[in-house]
Amino acid sequence: MLKLLQELFRAGDATVKYPFAPAPSNPNFRGKPEYNPKRCIACAACTIACPANALTMTTEPAAGKRTWMLDYGQCIFCARCEEVCPTGAIVLSKDVELAVRNRADLMVTADFTLRNCGSCKTPFAPDKEVGYVIALLIRSGLPADQAERRRELFETCPDCRRHAEVMRRVENARLMEVRP
Amino acid sequence: MSEVATAKPGQAYVDAVRQSFGAAVQEESWQADNQVTLTVDLNSLPDIVEALYYHHDGWLSTIAANDERKLNGHYALYYILSMEGATKSYVVIRGLVPANRPEFPSVTPRVPATVWGEREARDMFGLQPVGLPDERRLVLPDDWPDDLYPLRKDTMDYRTRPPIAADTETYKFISTAGGGSAEVPLGPLHITSDEPGHFRLFVEGEEIVDADYRLFYIHRGMEKLAETRMGYNEVPFLVDRICGICGFTHSVAYVSSVETALKIQIPERVHFIRTILLEVERLHSHLLNIGLACHFVGFDTGFMQFFRVREKAMTMAELLTGARKTYAMNLVGGVRRDILKAERIRTLELIRELRKEVTALLDILVSTPNMLARTKNVGRLEPQVARDYSPVGPVIRASGHARDTRVDHPYCAYKGAPVRTHTREGCDVFSRVIIRGEEFHDSLAIIEYCLDQMPEGPILVEGFTYTPHRFALGYTEAPRGEDVHWTMLSDNQKLYRWRCRAPTYANWPPLRYMLRGNTVADAPLIVGSIDPCYSCTDRVTLVDVRKRTSKTLPYNEIERYCRDRTGSPLK
Amino acid sequence: MSQTAGTFAPHIVPPPGAIRESEQIAKLKQTLLRDIRRSAYVFRVDCGGCNGCEIEIFAAISPVFDAERFGIKVVSSPRHADILLYTGAMTRAMRLPAIRTYHAAPDPKIVISYGACGCTGGIFHDLYCVWGGTDPVIPVDVYIPGCPPTPIATIYGFALALGLLDQKLKARHHSEGPDEDVVPIHPNIPLQLRIDLEREARRMAGYRQGRIIIERFMHMLEAKEPTPFAERIKRYLEEEDDPRLAEIFARLNEIVLQR
Repeated sequence: MLKLLQELFRAGDATVKYPFAPAPSNPNFRGKPEYNPKRCIACAACTIACPANALTMTTEPAAGKRTWMLDYGQCIFCARCEEVCPTGAIVLSKDVELAVRNRADLMVTADFTLRNCGSCKTPFAPDKEVGYVIALLIRSGLPADQAERRRELFETCPDCRRHAEVMRRVENARLMEVRP
Repeated sequence: MSEVATAKPGQAYVDAVRQSFGAAVQEESWQADNQVTLTVDLNSLPDIVEALYYHHDGWLSTIAANDERKLNGHYALYYILSMEGATKSYVVIRGLVPANRPEFPSVTPRVPATVWGEREARDMFGLQPVGLPDERRLVLPDDWPDDLYPLRKDTMDYRTRPPIAADTETYKFISTAGGGSAEVPLGPLHITSDEPGHFRLFVEGEEIVDADYRLFYIHRGMEKLAETRMGYNEVPFLVDRICGICGFTHSVAYVSSVETALKIQIPERVHFIRTILLEVERLHSHLLNIGLACHFVGFDTGFMQFFRVREKAMTMAELLTGARKTYAMNLVGGVRRDILKAERIRTLELIRELRKEVTALLDILVSTPNMLARTKNVGRLEPQVARDYSPVGPVIRASGHARDTRVDHPYCAYKGAPVRTHTREGCDVFSRVIIRGEEFHDSLAIIEYCLDQMPEGPILVEGFTYTPHRFALGYTEAPRGEDVHWTMLSDNQKLYRWRCRAPTYANWPPLRYMLRGNTVADAPLIVGSIDPCYSCTDRVTLVDVRKRTSKTLPYNEIERYCRDRTGSPLK
Repeated sequence: MSQTAGTFAPHIVPPPGAIRESEQIAKLKQTLLRDIRRSAYVFRVDCGGCNGCEIEIFAAISPVFDAERFGIKVVSSPRHADILLYTGAMTRAMRLPAIRTYHAAPDPKIVISYGACGCTGGIFHDLYCVWGGTDPVIPVDVYIPGCPPTPIATIYGFALALGLLDQKLKARHHSEGPDEDVVPIHPNIPLQLRIDLEREARRMAGYRQGRIIIERFMHMLEAKEPTPFAERIKRYLEEEDDPRLAEIFARLNEIVLQR
């Protein structure tokens, strides 16, 4: 009994003072994901990597819009989104004060415009994603005129690109035949 | 002894099986040097499993059923045995069940340990174990439709929710007490009035004569999820959440099963980091259990002190992984975070503090008269019963059997680490508590060893080839005991089949034997001593077999009785 | 204001027995909030969680975090409860016990949905044996996200439920603006070199420390300073005095030198 009392006195008052003082924090802690929509290119890497489907995307071709959504209520705070994001648009903070009364307050959403295909005029990819890819190409050392030609390619949807490539080869084959 | 023979510890067992059952063996395939799968004629399967189990020091790890009709036109059953004789290896006995006649000869009458695995194969795949007396559902809820087998490939989408059929619970509880009667007729009980408990304690007065339990109330459907919505690298995050206490152990078992199947060369540093985190998890889990033991014997100050000290283990976890629980550290091929100087120094500090404080607390605990009186000779698991049921962890070690996966089948960095198998002969609750205390100290030493010996090099392997339909076993020693995951890969960056046998699953079947002969007041203490991984039971039904009466109570009430020892709920 | 069961998760059809809250009950709740600021009796209902939440609730009550300072007391019967704390996904088998508990607790009461599984079903949200989180079946007043919520998050959630603190989170929406083009970071480092460096850092130190280390490395590489890069690295590593960091920097430097 005496040993127990000694142990209790030694341990003292271990209580954390929160909420009357800031909570003790750990620099490595995985808390609330903070989203910066300005840096987002709507590439969907995070939505594919999220194991809990807290991150989702919907695409409305008719409205030319893609909507990114994060539901803090479904988030498991694993940080996979942060790891796969190519632009650093989503980064986990240390914040844990996430309780709400209203379920809708757990949602973060962002709209992105879709680029229309240069050929068939239907939307196929987010504007910002196409822009980012071209910026990367230029950064990789491609001369400006080549970058522009690539731009035309990137602003064409995969179906039209495939079609164009097939037509090009057909045309080449025809030209080969005609030459003596 | 030739080089080849020592390189494959399982070879001796394969030879023994071929010698006695040669004609029945159809195929032999090695997943690793210590993992071999023998496909045998289905009708010889019970003989072979029994022979390996009782005549060659085999223990049953789990049974995995698989719908392989797409691959070879059959269902398959994998009986996974941990062979612990002179050499140690995993030996898997595989039998193919014809698609048009989904039944197989049950092994349960010969080897009691196979009972739950076979019942689960029936629930999830509709494979009938012929000769298994227990006809009841194990895993699926009572109102789940008959003939709907979730894990068959062609029955249902993983999101299909069958409409609710009945409001009545139909689960029958079975007892062999009260003069050998098989079933005490009590139902069906209408759930909305008074739910029959998850536990049934069959009593005579205050003494427990038998017990039965209805578990898997928290069955969510994870094994099907892992084959469908998720790819192989999302599954580690699912697996972290099998259990809120030993999630990381599951994570290591899962990724190592895939890594073994794909023969990925995992860097040494990864093994050391994984080992450190596995032991950190053991620290918090054992302190939790010891704290609960204090709680059940009414020593609440001890409970609070163990919980206070446990916070340091939680801080250690948060430092190394970013979260107190759900470490999310594994990917197939390595780990997501490294251990650098700051983390290393702080971890070593916390270890020193923990060692000092827990030594003092355990000292106090062991000399508390109440503790000794309440736990010595209580909840005995006799060594022979243990041998029949293959329980794991401190439960099996407290009954004198030296089983510890870290020592028997070393994985990660355990081969050179200061880990020992702690056994006791007491067979009681007290022995289990003491073993956990001893293992706690070992864990501290293992973490220090790993930090000291941490190899250089990378912590992540990227760029391996994902080969469909390979399969392998992953295994760890969770705080509660051996944890095995069996994984078969599919052809779309996903899994074909993932079977997880958590340690407590192996410890539930012998629990009824541990309860027999004890008093009702001791029940929560005994249940707590297997350190169960279950959603807290909310009700217990006490059935007096002599008076033929029954009474349903909140489990809290039995816990209160366990601590206070006055005001029996049976009165 | 609580959500009527089933409104927020439209993909989940509320199962039989799902509860709709009446106006009268909603009014009574306001008076409850005034009365229970001093003490609140909480009854836990685990509907199908992994127990991680259970343990964090234990920890929140333990001496280190001591939720009992706010008069929060865990009780063993719903009949004595002011607050029902639902944890875990709503599994098929626990639907009726969850409903029964709700009816057993006297009105007015507050319902808290705890953890990702409680809020939405979490990672299990669409499985065959799960109805989602708590709110397809039980009307919820407060949601506490987390997986599991830390004791700090738990105390914050209780403080919110008791009206002692206000919620911080508000729904946010952003519509793409005119000049939000994203430019790649580290413009002065050739793209392929940056990719190779990032990959090596990740291979050596994982995603988190790898990113921190590579950012520091690239920052030093890009910096326009008179002292040569090799010299600055040497000095930095001497200050840090961490052999592992030195090992990683050495590998990264090798990649730079090979260009």
